[in-house]
Amino acid sequence: MDIFTREQTKSTPWIHFDPQENHLQIKGESYPENSASFYAPMMEWLEEYLNAVSNSNIRVDVELVYFNSSSSKVFMNLFDRLEESARNGIHVEINWMYHEDNDTAFECGEEFQEDLENVVFNLLPIEE
Amino acid sequence: MQKEIQNFYHQLQEKGIIFSFSGPISQSLLEGIGQTLKQKMSLEETSTNVIHKVFSIFVELMQNIINYSAQRVTPEEAEQELSYGVLIVGKEEEHFYIISGNYIHEDQKGPLQEKLAKIKSMDKDELKQYYKQQRRLQADDASKGAGLGFIEMARKATHPIEYEIANMENGYNFFVVKAVI
Repeated sequence: MDIFTREQTKSTPWIHFDPQENHLQIKGESYPENSASFYAPMMEWLEEYLNAVSNSNIRVDVELVYFNSSSSKVFMNLFDRLEESARNGIHVEINWMYHEDNDTAFECGEEFQEDLENVVFNLLPIEE
Repeated sequence: MQKEIQNFYHQLQEKGIIFSFSGPISQSLLEGIGQTLKQKMSLEETSTNVIHKVFSIFVELMQNIINYSAQRVTPEEAEQELSYGVLIVGKEEEHFYIISGNYIHEDQKGPLQEKLAKIKSMDKDELKQYYKQQRRLQADDASKGAGLGFIEMARKATHPIEYEIANMENGYNFFVVKAVI
């Protein structure tokens, strides 16, 4: 399987999903006009990757300064899909990184954390 | 002409209006204005949290116009679609506010009114639960957004959101919504 990657734009984050390293990274801001269609290829890649992966530890690093409400729905879908794999015995660790003075980013991370049970979901402050 | 424009400009400033736009709105316009708005607020040493809240409501309202305005131009080629509306960002007694307005179709009115009335009746905890519940629902196919925009707005605003929908003679309705941060 190939690496899935997208360059950062003003309204979409840098995405780098590496199947060999089992390391998925998202960094930037997310407020595209149509989040569902923008992230559709990423979600398709993820589906294929998770169907093939076995006996691995998956690490997910997410650092989002800001995302709009329709992106929030996509990220919930993303985490729910990882949650499903975690329920089936794959170890998934999600690191939600936020800047210390960004309360919104912290609260958003906390709300995802509250809705997930089987993945390890860490809230990690980035010191200024 | 000079006098007229100068008066218009001063009137906007007297009302504390930082930014106003009326006309065709697109994602690229949103991105440009959004950056300038953030820059302006940070130059004035607005707290990071307030900047995030204002920017967030700005994006939701601009995208609401882009996705739901009844007045739009759809190009034949795969170019960007343009939606018409009005958006105002201002500051009133230390509070930022954002107002948006656009035409909607008659069949959009009922569901919109119902949704906004529901949101208005909720406290912050109820809004949080409603947001989470809606976020996990499957998107309905007709909607480009996630149906979360107004809930997000109400959660970020410091006062309950205000809205009005007025019947127009042309069979459309004009929808106005205001959030104070």
